[in-house]
Amino acid sequence: MGINAERADGTVIAKADGRIDSSNSREFHTELEAVVADSDAALVLDFEDVAYISSAGMRVILLTAKSLQKSGIKLALCSMNDSIREVFKISGFDKIIEIHESQAEALSAVGA
Amino acid sequence: MTMTESRQKHKILVVDDEPDLEPLMLQRMRRYIRTGVYEFVFARNGVEALEALDVDESIDMVLSDINMPKMDGLTLLERIPDVAPDIRAVIISAYGDMKNIRIAMNRGAFDFVTKPVDFDDLKFTIDRTLQHIREWRDALSARDKLVVLQNELNVASMMQQSILPNKFARNDDYKLFGTMQPARNVGGDFFDVIGLSDGRVGLAIADVSGKGVPAALFMMSSRTLLKGAAMRADGPGEALTEVNDVLNEDNDACMFVTMIYAVYNPKTGELTYADGGHDPPLVVHADGTTTQLPVTEGIALGVMPGFDYDQHIHQLAPGDTVVLYTDGVTEAINSEEEQLGLDRLRGCFEQDPPQGAEDAGHRVIDLVNDFAGDVPQFDDTTCLVLRRED
Repeated sequence: MGINAERADGTVIAKADGRIDSSNSREFHTELEAVVADSDAALVLDFEDVAYISSAGMRVILLTAKSLQKSGIKLALCSMNDSIREVFKISGFDKIIEIHESQAEALSAVGA
Repeated sequence: MTMTESRQKHKILVVDDEPDLEPLMLQRMRRYIRTGVYEFVFARNGVEALEALDVDESIDMVLSDINMPKMDGLTLLERIPDVAPDIRAVIISAYGDMKNIRIAMNRGAFDFVTKPVDFDDLKFTIDRTLQHIREWRDALSARDKLVVLQNELNVASMMQQSILPNKFARNDDYKLFGTMQPARNVGGDFFDVIGLSDGRVGLAIADVSGKGVPAALFMMSSRTLLKGAAMRADGPGEALTEVNDVLNEDNDACMFVTMIYAVYNPKTGELTYADGGHDPPLVVHADGTTTQLPVTEGIALGVMPGFDYDQHIHQLAPGDTVVLYTDGVTEAINSEEEQLGLDRLRGCFEQDPPQGAEDAGHRVIDLVNDFAGDVPQFDDTTCLVLRRED
């Protein structure tokens, strides 16, 4: 698991990879916090290279979503594989977090 | 240098039968003694040294000559672990006496210096030894803390198991069976069976986010809240709405729990259920065909305060078996890193319809274990089964 972040036009695009589970969710949280720290840029979290996310990883997404929401910063997730998309659907997380098919759609949704 | 930075005083036991070493040592090391870096104590032979180590637990290291009356330094080396296992010894040997140096090192000496003693070299050797002792003690204390933590986790794991129902009331209309196979770490799965008025029974299965003590704590409070809400609420939707609102209070850690709560009425065969972001129940019909119950569009509990949970009613036919499970079942991993998936779960019933609630429950656990083989699973594997008897 790792996060690769790039900044463009007032948006941060963070791309995680691998498996996000309870063994690395703390590291995932720390890295994600570093990406959004001291920034008021919208965040697009790209799941293209993420193979699996456990509930511990979902919790980090939730923490991030809530903290961004408090600061009025937009967040969109994108490019999930079918099983991860299903996890977000079943858990109901897709009701409170924006999810898009592609990075381009996510970028336009956050207004980039 | 980090070695000399420590302000902590270290006590060094010097063992030598020659009386001149004591004043020499005190004189050459006076600066470090004055500034409180070292404190020296002296013994004249191995026997005296062992006595000193036995009474004074604050000695950090031993600096010993080899040739001494009563007990020599090489014998002393063998005996030190009996009285003070966590200290280290440095040997003073005659220059070029490789035979005794080798014996000393093989008997566990940490290092050696040679006569005539070069005090700069000795100072360096003492510091290096003390540094090693500090690191060793830190490692020991970290290990002890880890052992305590592991014991606590084992207790949490036992508590998690012990609160699960393990006796299921027998009656003619329906049968129940539930089981949880915990993962190596304490997880947060649970199931519950709650007796309600008019012969109805409440069935819950849940999966708390994450692992370890936080998950175990959150699981305990979720379970208690649900038990209370289940008694009061008009139906499963209302029960989940109440539990969710309480869990959302002061939930800064953003823990959450996915849950199915269902109420079965044996008189009518109706199953009323609500989902809190959990995998939908599977109904296995008498002929082995399966139906996934439609979700009620809920959301994991603890995520969104004020959410209104919906409920559905499903009519069970005689011979229908409802399988509630956690994602530890469908997300079990085999050696090819494939997930077990819903299709395999359905498949295990379609080829051979279950004979009863207990049979169906065991089938699920066997399916996971056969699929996973030796691959360690990271999630609890839990299922709760209800069968409406023919």
